[in-house]
Amino acid sequence: MVSPRAEGSRINPQLIVLLGILLGFCLVFTMTTASFFSAENMSNLVRSSAFVIITGAGVTLLMISGNLDLSVGSILALSGCVYAFAAKAGMPVPLAALLGCLSGLAVGMINAVTAVKWKVTPFIATLGTMYGVRGFVFIITDAKTVRGGLPPDFSFLDMSHLGPVPLAFFIVILIVALFYALEKKSLLGKYSFAIGGNRTAAILSGINADGVVMRLYVIVGFLAGLSGVMMGSRLAVGDPNVGVGFEFDVIIAVVLGGTALAGGKGSIVGMIIGALIVQVIGNGLNLLNVLSFWQSIIKGILLVAAVLLNQALVRKKGR
Amino acid sequence: MSETLIEMLGLTKTFPGVVALRDVSFGIERNTVHCIIGENGAGKSTLIKILTGALRKTSGEVSFKGRDWNPRSTGEAMRAGMSVLFQELNVVDQLTVEQNLTLGKERSSFGFERRNETQFEQTVATLRSLDPEITLQQRVGDLSVAQKQVIEIAKAISSNADVIVMDEPTAAISEEEVNRLFAIIRALKDRNVTVVYITHRLTEIFSIGDNVTVLRDGQMIATRSVREVASSCNDDEVESCSELIRMMLGKVVAEHYSAREVPEGDPILEMVEVNSAKLHDVSFALHAGEILGFYGLVGAGKTEIARAIYGLDPMTGTMRVKGREVAFRTPGQAIRGGIAMVPEERRTEGLLTKLSIRENITIMNMRPIRRFGLLSKLRERALARSYIDRLRIVATGSEQGVAKLSGGNQQKVVLSKCLNAESSILLLDEPTRGIDVGAKEEIHGIIRDLAKSGVGVIVFSSELPEILNLCDRIALLYNGRVRRILRNGEDVDSHMIMQIVTDSAGADAQAKVG
Repeated sequence: MVSPRAEGSRINPQLIVLLGILLGFCLVFTMTTASFFSAENMSNLVRSSAFVIITGAGVTLLMISGNLDLSVGSILALSGCVYAFAAKAGMPVPLAALLGCLSGLAVGMINAVTAVKWKVTPFIATLGTMYGVRGFVFIITDAKTVRGGLPPDFSFLDMSHLGPVPLAFFIVILIVALFYALEKKSLLGKYSFAIGGNRTAAILSGINADGVVMRLYVIVGFLAGLSGVMMGSRLAVGDPNVGVGFEFDVIIAVVLGGTALAGGKGSIVGMIIGALIVQVIGNGLNLLNVLSFWQSIIKGILLVAAVLLNQALVRKKGR
Repeated sequence: MSETLIEMLGLTKTFPGVVALRDVSFGIERNTVHCIIGENGAGKSTLIKILTGALRKTSGEVSFKGRDWNPRSTGEAMRAGMSVLFQELNVVDQLTVEQNLTLGKERSSFGFERRNETQFEQTVATLRSLDPEITLQQRVGDLSVAQKQVIEIAKAISSNADVIVMDEPTAAISEEEVNRLFAIIRALKDRNVTVVYITHRLTEIFSIGDNVTVLRDGQMIATRSVREVASSCNDDEVESCSELIRMMLGKVVAEHYSAREVPEGDPILEMVEVNSAKLHDVSFALHAGEILGFYGLVGAGKTEIARAIYGLDPMTGTMRVKGREVAFRTPGQAIRGGIAMVPEERRTEGLLTKLSIRENITIMNMRPIRRFGLLSKLRERALARSYIDRLRIVATGSEQGVAKLSGGNQQKVVLSKCLNAESSILLLDEPTRGIDVGAKEEIHGIIRDLAKSGVGVIVFSSELPEILNLCDRIALLYNGRVRRILRNGEDVDSHMIMQIVTDSAGADAQAKVG
């Protein structure tokens, strides 16, 4: 008899392939550019992936449960501007940051109610908040960047270091660790897989599917809020235009990472590698001075190619 | 007259682990209504699926109009003159009657529909002659099931069908509609259409059938002319013909049932005058350690009773668990109240098909694998292992995905899931449907052991042998009502049971007396 530990602790081959793709791109850019593999560029990479990874941690679970959130880009703008307004009004910066996160959570609650309670298709429900929240941000900011009179420590999330390592890095690690544990070790994680895999069977097994999915929407709202606050911190302003298309960056990272759009499978580790692949390609092509139009084409092709590869792997495994 | 239109010779169909049809041979004559009867799982559906192209035969020969017949799709079968009226009707609810009538037969010019007026007129005329009340502009979704059937029949006739196969067409329609359908079926013969009529209601055979074939356990038992069968029955009781029942059921004896003393005492589950959309005044009690069986035909209300208990369907009336009145609104509440259910549909309702055996088994109750709020994969694996050993689930290990298991092993996983919920009441809806004989026996053994350990078990089944082999008491259902509750034993008469659940002549009177 095999010991319980030995069996099944194999690493998913899809993740290895994904990691190989990531390392391959890193290798190519290290050889073709002078500055790719510099400490500065690496730190830059991590900081610019932070937003997608933090929001993506929640979105991965949400998509595993078979749902979708298109409003995270608008939340990014909302929470950044709320953060800036609150700090400008004299609120202590940590409290203002918390308020920013909570504004995201509030949008998550709206999504939870419309998409789950009122059973509006997630695509439509969150498309609604995507437009609604964006418009709301433009109104409260008068479509202008919130700047001037911001306290000096407004950018603490971006500028602070713990030793040589940026604070943002620690936040990412913390969130990732937490959500990795949620995915692997919590009821919420297991229920997400169950609901995405077979909702009827999950409900007949006594799982409160609506409750689980509502919680996931709220969590995603909060995480997008946190990402927005960090973005504001990085830009040193509250920008109502920020985060357009961010929802797709997140979805791309999650899907690249092997999460099925229909739900039932996926992983946060895969999402992180997916986010880094997108980020490394963008960063490397920038360093090579490739025109952004070409970058867009290349990204589009790579996304479809990666999903094709994924499907081929799954099919092989299925036989 | 007796020209053979469809001929089957040694027709066999196997699925992995199960033989659905074994060496079936019989002929269907032109311009007759040929009934095929048999219990659930007898192979009726498989047979018509092969005839109409939804399934491919494994071996044997079929000929249709004198030619070799092996259609690859229902479309191909339809074009060759073999139409089918499935239980799930092939009409599009969102479209109008007119659009449905022409669906799939459109011709187009540059992508725009160009109607063949003469053909269309003909279809409309056919529809009128069948049911003048249906108008062309009605949305099909607003029609009754019977009217939808009429539309399908009109479509079939207008596409020059030689044969229309009807799969239990009366399962979901009212008595008056049944009479109208029968009139249509009789009229079809005048239009040179042969009807293959699948049913398990005996009375219908005598109303419309010319010939009848009995299937049992995938084998052809007999093909007779209905008149011949009728004359061999007692004249006054044609509808409850014992010969057909005997052919359908074979030698039904409770070979594995041994009468046991069931602890009486206070019931752990009581239902008093429960009503729901499909149930009427259902009352019964279940004792700890008892196996109670619910038997009835498809649509008699078995699943509805299970769903009402499990908090899935709204109901009125009183439900008591261990003497305490309860009202479950979700399965979660029912599970916490000590009830677990093995649902009717294994793949769509019972299994988390994308997950492993390990993840499936623990999903209803994760208390045993939780420590300080975290799930332990190690404990989970050990727990899954214990069930794999205990129920003898054949798999490569606890990590195997459940989708690739055989039906019997899948059902054992679903059972394990419910056992792990540690409930005192277990609802089993068709616990061995589509499972091979060996696994069936094993699962029956598990159910008996459970009852011995003090669990109250309710088995909902449309297989009489299963009910007779397993259950201490048997509740007979017809049309959402409990007709009678019997104690299983030597004096239980399977013919009488069949009469009650098929509502054959005299059953009402008997039920009133009993």
